[in-house]
Amino acid sequence: MSDLKTDSKTDSKTDFKKDWKSLARAGGLTIPSSALERVAQTLEALEADFRPLVRALPRESEPALAFHAATHDDGENAE
Amino acid sequence: MTLLEAAAALRRRETSSVELTAAALRSIERLNPSTNAMQSVLVDAARGRAKQADEELARGEGRGPLHGIPIAVKDLFYTKGVRTTGGSNLFAEHVPDHDATVVEWLRTGGAVLAGKTGMHELAYGITSSNPHYGAIRNPWDRDRIPGGSSGGSGAAVAGGMVFMAMGSDTGGSIRIPASYCGVVGLKPTYGRVSRYGAMPLGFSLDHMGPLTRSVRDAGAVLNIIAGYDPRDETSSRRAVENYVPDIEPSIRGMRIGMPENFYFERLDCDVDAAVRAAFQTAAGHGAEIVPLRVPDIAAINTVARVILLAEASAQFEPYMEQRDRFGPDVLALLDQGRLLSATDYINAQRLRHNMQREFAGVWSRVDCLFTPATPITAPRIGETTVTCGGQDEDVRLATTRLVRAINALGLPAISIPCGTDRRGLPIGLQIVGPPFAEALILRAAQAILPAEVAVPRL
Repeated sequence: MSDLKTDSKTDSKTDFKKDWKSLARAGGLTIPSSALERVAQTLEALEADFRPLVRALPRESEPALAFHAATHDDGENAE
Repeated sequence: MTLLEAAAALRRRETSSVELTAAALRSIERLNPSTNAMQSVLVDAARGRAKQADEELARGEGRGPLHGIPIAVKDLFYTKGVRTTGGSNLFAEHVPDHDATVVEWLRTGGAVLAGKTGMHELAYGITSSNPHYGAIRNPWDRDRIPGGSSGGSGAAVAGGMVFMAMGSDTGGSIRIPASYCGVVGLKPTYGRVSRYGAMPLGFSLDHMGPLTRSVRDAGAVLNIIAGYDPRDETSSRRAVENYVPDIEPSIRGMRIGMPENFYFERLDCDVDAAVRAAFQTAAGHGAEIVPLRVPDIAAINTVARVILLAEASAQFEPYMEQRDRFGPDVLALLDQGRLLSATDYINAQRLRHNMQREFAGVWSRVDCLFTPATPITAPRIGETTVTCGGQDEDVRLATTRLVRAINALGLPAISIPCGTDRRGLPIGLQIVGPPFAEALILRAAQAILPAEVAVPRL
């Protein structure tokens, strides 16, 4: 991940700005540069909305998806 | 004629399944060239099944209201021995060796599968302009999209090709085509209807439900497809109810929420007026209209988008080396999802949990919510930007703006037609209820729309 650059510019809404193009290269994703430009723009907009929500997330919050040790057949999830 | 009217006519021997099926096949033959609603037409199988249904009915072996009724299912439901493409080039020759649970239960109920409906590629979009199988066209105006991703189901039901078509809804994909095509579209509670055998897009957001020409028909279909299925890990064991509302149900005293924020922002003026008129209709039936502020829907939409991007990209990761087999819009979404991190996905699921709890507070104040289903009526094929309330907006984001959050919350919701715009295009009213309150939202919907939907002249 040594080629993964972190943009030093500060975004007023997100505090930091991901370099989506570098992330794609670092992940070995074969996205043509023209497509990557559009993808990056869309993700930047999504990130701007998403990051403040994550920042406000209480530490004790559990995800909506949870692992159940027992399966349905055991009656564990019976309602 | 509605599904339940056809069923009643069958029981009275005024018609036969063979006649109903022949009429459906003629209608498909006439209208499919201009709408492209059907991906596959099962002529011989449908005729054979109709003949069998007539024989069973003659012997008094009735299986319920769907017995002998020609229907269709979206081409992402596995059908044993019948090609199931998911609207994708990747699965162009995929022939499952088993039925989806929904298909199995519909067949057990005696339904005649007349065909499989076209859809947006991989159910990942709202236009149903499929790059591999052609654009599906809205029967109300063939230059316009039917919505999606269950666009073929919406067009087939609006066009009168079948009495009911099954759809799936991950970010509005039943309610959007219902809104744009002027039919009824029901998305049940997450876990109410089995997802087994339906090609997944976002497994924690995918819901299965019917598109029909009346509210009671939607309830009749839900009676067949609802219930616990051990093959779906998320299937609910909660007891099913009778979901068919009375013909003239009472909604006296029902508390109907009128959102003061979000849902009535940036709407086409005709949509705004039609949905507000629905509140008046409900009030005229004795319902109590309760203005209220709802939780931050824009935030829930954002979380739902992150979850869908991640889940869909995980689902289709094995195929990503075959980039030329995807259409450009779907490929762009899959690329976006591949760049999100695991922490983004988990944090989105944590946010979703909190939002679900917060939204539950709404149900202490109201029994259901009325909102527009879409802020606009059907856009033209190829339009990428639409104007909503004087502002330009991406057509996909505009179309999903009022429906997507409900998938993240897993709540039951229905879209019913509630008028037309200045061009004569249908407008959809969305009714949202608490978890497993399908019977309640169907009752409210029936009070607003007691008759068969209007159908276009074709």
